Amino acid sequence: MDPSTPLASSPAATTRTQGGSAGRAWLGAYAFLAPAFVILLAFLLIPAVWVFGLSLFRWDLIANNPTYVGLANFQRLLLRDDLWWQSVRQTVHYTAVSVPASMALGLLLAVLLDAKLPGRHLLRGAVFVPYVTPFVATIVIWIWIFNPDYGVLNALLGALHLPRPGWTHSADWIMPAVIIYGVWQHTGLNLVIYLAGLANIPAELQEAARVDGAGPWRVFWRITWPLLSPTTYFLLFINLIGSFKVVVPVYVFTDNSGGPDHAAETIGFYLYQQAFAFFHAGYAGAISVAFFVLILAITGIQMRFSSRRVFYT
Amino acid sequence: MRRRLPALGVRYLFALPLAAAFLFPIYWMLVLSLNREDAILQFPPHLLPQWQVQNYVVVWRFVNWPGLFANTIATTAGRVLLVMVTSTLAGYAFASMRFAGKAAAFGLVLAVYMVPAEVTLVPNYITLSRIGWLDTYQAQFVPLGASVFGIFLMRQYFLTLPKDLWEAAQLDGCGHLRYLWSIAAPLARPALVTIALLQFIEGWNAFLWPLIVTSTDRVRPLQVGLAAFSFTDSTRPELLAAGAFMTTLPILVVFLIAQRQLVGGIASTGIRG
Repeated sequence: MDPSTPLASSPAATTRTQGGSAGRAWLGAYAFLAPAFVILLAFLLIPAVWVFGLSLFRWDLIANNPTYVGLANFQRLLLRDDLWWQSVRQTVHYTAVSVPASMALGLLLAVLLDAKLPGRHLLRGAVFVPYVTPFVATIVIWIWIFNPDYGVLNALLGALHLPRPGWTHSADWIMPAVIIYGVWQHTGLNLVIYLAGLANIPAELQEAARVDGAGPWRVFWRITWPLLSPTTYFLLFINLIGSFKVVVPVYVFTDNSGGPDHAAETIGFYLYQQAFAFFHAGYAGAISVAFFVLILAITGIQMRFSSRRVFYT
Repeated sequence: MRRRLPALGVRYLFALPLAAAFLFPIYWMLVLSLNREDAILQFPPHLLPQWQVQNYVVVWRFVNWPGLFANTIATTAGRVLLVMVTSTLAGYAFASMRFAGKAAAFGLVLAVYMVPAEVTLVPNYITLSRIGWLDTYQAQFVPLGASVFGIFLMRQYFLTLPKDLWEAAQLDGCGHLRYLWSIAAPLARPALVTIALLQFIEGWNAFLWPLIVTSTDRVRPLQVGLAAFSFTDSTRPELLAAGAFMTTLPILVVFLIAQRQLVGGIASTGIRG
């Protein structure tokens, strides 16, 4: 596929490519790579290494006098920082509820909307649109939907004679509120990727099972679900990573406070606050390293599992 | 054939209420933005808009919207163009050029893919403050101006172009850059459109990074301005909803025009941008 290969065999080109032009071609290639590489190196790769060094210093971003403290930041983080461990627990809570809920909803909707259903594009669009609309603009509306006194959600719950929680005003209910928002926002992605997965399953397989007398329930669990497992693993991975990183919904829902009793505080939000509300650059560096290790662990586990357990067609 | 109709009915029975629930908050944004203040503070709430278009006129006076829109347009345009250029050049080099260290360079791009952007927030903030870029337009998009997905997508596309094209162009005395500009890139338009759409969405919705690196309304984008407006205690909900809807409308329009391409692009990556 390399267009420069056939050149050498074409006589007209041979004369031109002799001499120093091989070196020039290399230079040319690196000139093409340079714009992307300068940015990727300067703002992703080097910072990812630098952050490890940063984590060994105590550094107030404003005072500009970094002091080397060895592993003291990690000692404090892992042994003495209750708020860190609270944010870890709450991130796990957020992930453990929102990821399965959003994936299950996405799968259900994909199965429902996969058929040649008239109006399916409209219905898919309705589920998908939250994924592309801005966080802040939609969250400020959700804050009103969740309003304990005037919100439409509590109006609905009241009409059904169910209890009406305090949602964003309550330490017990703010995390469920953020989770509901997360599921609303993210299900569209799971829907479209499950639809792409369903499109890859040969229709004859399901047809054959149906001819053999299997009902839709059996066809789904015996044929569709196993064949969807590569999609499911891929989605599980990107959903896990995505929900571990959640910051902006926490910021906007809690007005940059972390919520009543810090009840909505997540790892990403705690990192943001230490860095840019308290300007603890070194400590935020240590949090970044811990966060990085967590994400890499998830990636590692995912890679092991996907190579073993996935059913490839 | 007779069994298909009830099956469709069952699908609608589940799919319609679910889809309506997902669309409801967007609808509610519009309803709140068109309601009178007294209606919003009534319980149970009115489910239909009262068409108080006046709200949009009033909210226009509270916030410097033209400035925020201009800032968002400028930073989004910068981001879209930069990612298109860096992805095209690097994608082309990986697909169509031979050079020493190609495998290593490609490995580097893959390694970058593993780095969560959140980890780079603090170092990047320090870098930008040292080069004096805090509170500028370029701080908001240059660090995000290269996309691993964009490079992969362009590379994939260039790999599918027939070799004869390049050979013919060479015989006409075309170099790589001219061949890319006048033949290869135009042929890769579907991939470029996908990249542009995804970057537009990301740029328009940008919030956390601009929040960190900007401090004045001179350069702040819409979502940061909207959040500041929403954190003001005296902000009335119908005005906040009107502001929210104004910032969302361009996304909705682009979504309606380019739904297929956008969904296709996102489904192939699993990530925005």
